[in-house]
Amino acid sequence: MPPRTGALVPRQLCRNTAVSLRPIRLVAPTSSRSFSASAPAPAPKSHPTDSTFSSVSPDEVSHFNALASSWWDPQGPSRILHLMNPLRHDFIRSCRSSVLDDPPPPLTGLKYLDIGCGGGIFAESATRLPTTASVTAIDPSSKVLSVAKAHARRDPALRSKLTYLNTPIEQLPVPDIPQDGYDVVSVFEVIEHVSHPAQFLDRCTPFVKPGGWLVLSTIARTWMSWLTTNVIAEDLLRIVPRGTHDWRKYINEEELRGHFLQKRTGWAEPRCMGVVYVPGLGWKEVSGSEKVGNYFFGVRRIAEPT
Amino acid sequence: MDCVVLPSRQLRRPLANLCRSCSRRILPRPSRSYASAASAQPDIYDVVCVGGGPAGLSLLTALRSNPTTAGLRVALVEAQDLSKTRSWKLPPDRYSNRCSSLTPTSALFLDRVGAWRHVRRARVQPYHEMQVWDGVTDARIEFEWDPAASQEKTKTKTIAYMTENLNLTSGLLSRIDELGGVDVYEGVKVEKITLGEDKEELDLSEWPIVQLAGGKQLAARLLVGADGANSPVRAFAGIESRGWDYGRHGVVATLELEGPGWGGDDMKIAYQRFLPTGPVAMLPMPGNYSTLVWSTTPSNAALLKSLSAKDFIALVNAAFRLSPVDLTFMHTLSSGQDDELSWRLQHTQFDSQAVPQTVVGVQEGTVASFPLKMRHADTYIGERVALVGDAAHTIHPLAGQGLNQGQGDVASLARTIEYAVSHGQDLGARMSLEPYNAERYAANHVLLGVCDKLHKVYSAGSGPLVPLRSLGLRAVNAMGPLKGFFMDQAAGNGIKFPSKLF
Repeated sequence: MPPRTGALVPRQLCRNTAVSLRPIRLVAPTSSRSFSASAPAPAPKSHPTDSTFSSVSPDEVSHFNALASSWWDPQGPSRILHLMNPLRHDFIRSCRSSVLDDPPPPLTGLKYLDIGCGGGIFAESATRLPTTASVTAIDPSSKVLSVAKAHARRDPALRSKLTYLNTPIEQLPVPDIPQDGYDVVSVFEVIEHVSHPAQFLDRCTPFVKPGGWLVLSTIARTWMSWLTTNVIAEDLLRIVPRGTHDWRKYINEEELRGHFLQKRTGWAEPRCMGVVYVPGLGWKEVSGSEKVGNYFFGVRRIAEPT
Repeated sequence: MDCVVLPSRQLRRPLANLCRSCSRRILPRPSRSYASAASAQPDIYDVVCVGGGPAGLSLLTALRSNPTTAGLRVALVEAQDLSKTRSWKLPPDRYSNRCSSLTPTSALFLDRVGAWRHVRRARVQPYHEMQVWDGVTDARIEFEWDPAASQEKTKTKTIAYMTENLNLTSGLLSRIDELGGVDVYEGVKVEKITLGEDKEELDLSEWPIVQLAGGKQLAARLLVGADGANSPVRAFAGIESRGWDYGRHGVVATLELEGPGWGGDDMKIAYQRFLPTGPVAMLPMPGNYSTLVWSTTPSNAALLKSLSAKDFIALVNAAFRLSPVDLTFMHTLSSGQDDELSWRLQHTQFDSQAVPQTVVGVQEGTVASFPLKMRHADTYIGERVALVGDAAHTIHPLAGQGLNQGQGDVASLARTIEYAVSHGQDLGARMSLEPYNAERYAANHVLLGVCDKLHKVYSAGSGPLVPLRSLGLRAVNAMGPLKGFFMDQAAGNGIKFPSKLF
């Protein structure tokens, strides 16, 4: 089942409007194609609307527009995503605590950038952490973002620390100096929805403060993930909206590793954590499962890019 | 996780002990001067706990003593004046009549949150053995920890700790005062609970607003109902509580015995005899004291309360010794039980070492009774609502599990809140609370059911059930593992259920 090349496909997402969840991060773009194809382009001051340079796929936007209203329904199609959210924090914590710097990086006053924030499940939770100074969360879908903003109004704890911007990453002003970047740049359940993952990741790079982390999540492209995410989750159990996942867009962990450590410079200390959803028990960390299905991946931007 | 607004809590803290009218004058209280309460901005809290009993106080103690949750803004609302509880004091030869059997699990939890050392330990009595028998057939089961199993420890193992409820609540209050950081609204009634408003930059339309007498409004990220069997919080959340009344009353009293018990001070024994009218239990307190819990018919309970001390004592002694037929007769007398007992004892054979030592005194003013019920709420959680303790369930006292269930609820809810806080979840969102409900509901339901069935099985004075249940009791007594299960239940090491259910 070799990955397909070519641009990503508008997948069937929009077909089943009611269902789709982005929550499950299952879908990742096939690595090989977009990764190999793209040059390590410096983030262009892009034409946000120009699809050639935008990582945003219009089909994806309409897909998530359709999901907007049910985003915060804990029994709705995003339930599995809600359930996964705490593990994101566990993973980020494990990345940050793995660092051996002397002196150690600060534990508090952290700045987050959440790219493709959707309804704000991760962004809100990151904001509530007492170690967080601020969270900037962006998403290209205005409808989804209005859901996020409306929901954030319900929690007075979020007011002063959380900023939502309706923008693709290409339009977000790059920090003037690297130290103004973010401690954590998160790209959860997103990379499988963008058109050119390698270029997209390059655009995220300048936002990561030296010493900070880029964390993302996706799904390994294996027969098992095809079976579990496409056949079982979507077609049989229907716990994930049909058409949410395009197996061909999934990315394997070693492909991400190769991208950051071999095809790009300035990154180090890659970490990953495989997770498995067990109906009845929730998400569980299962070591080794990153080779098979859903996983988190984190990589640290080194202080002096070589 | 802290939320916003509020005038600094430190300001308010030291004022907690002032009388309400004073503090009202000192604190900024817009609602008082500008009468229109509607425009008053509610004070925003992470956790508002309604009810200052053992469950509510334990929850606040657990939250305040844990570094992860210590940053939460928390409030306690209690209709009664807590100063009596704070200053509670009895001489060493007087014991309150409301006691609970705290399991080692509950005691461990209280120790972990730092409250156990605030409990007056000289007034707490551990016990190490339980004697339970059928009043009709005398089939008996003895619960004692297998001496072989606990040999290495040489010390006898504690089944549970008899503790006065007031000793516990005053210890908890003392711990809360030590920790600080709880806004206490005491001696003030909850007038109503409504949902907040959606205005300007803040949408509180899904937040419960607790309106106190006097106009104060508390907005709760999480509203905890620790407010007892008739929980107003549960009513606000629209959660039904189902069950039935047993048509029985529990009669309690503090008793003085002829000695410290057959095992002496180091080997205290709890006794329970199942009578057709309900179980009668004698639970050891320090020294020669014991506490009585006698579940019986309302008319018997009324009689017990009306008797002279001498006749009351006689009837209690009879309850552990005479046949149900003799007992029934003695309940028809309005007085004279003392003479009746001494006459009947001459004609009754029993092993005096297998029943509690003879009661020689009852402390004045300690004979009281309360109706027995079984209730279970449909769920323990709603959006921004959680129920703990009696607000969630009311159990037959025969296994002494009521308070322990509440402590189990609190430990679980505190863990659930801690997880939510450490992962940035909204701790009041129903989804964040799901693990609490999943962990506690099934476990409590099993225990409620077991105690309910026990009550029913032993209510029969004759008929086919009687020999069967005796057979059952004898069989359980012969079977080590099963007995171990029951003892684990009594000691609070009960069955564990998966903590998450999705």
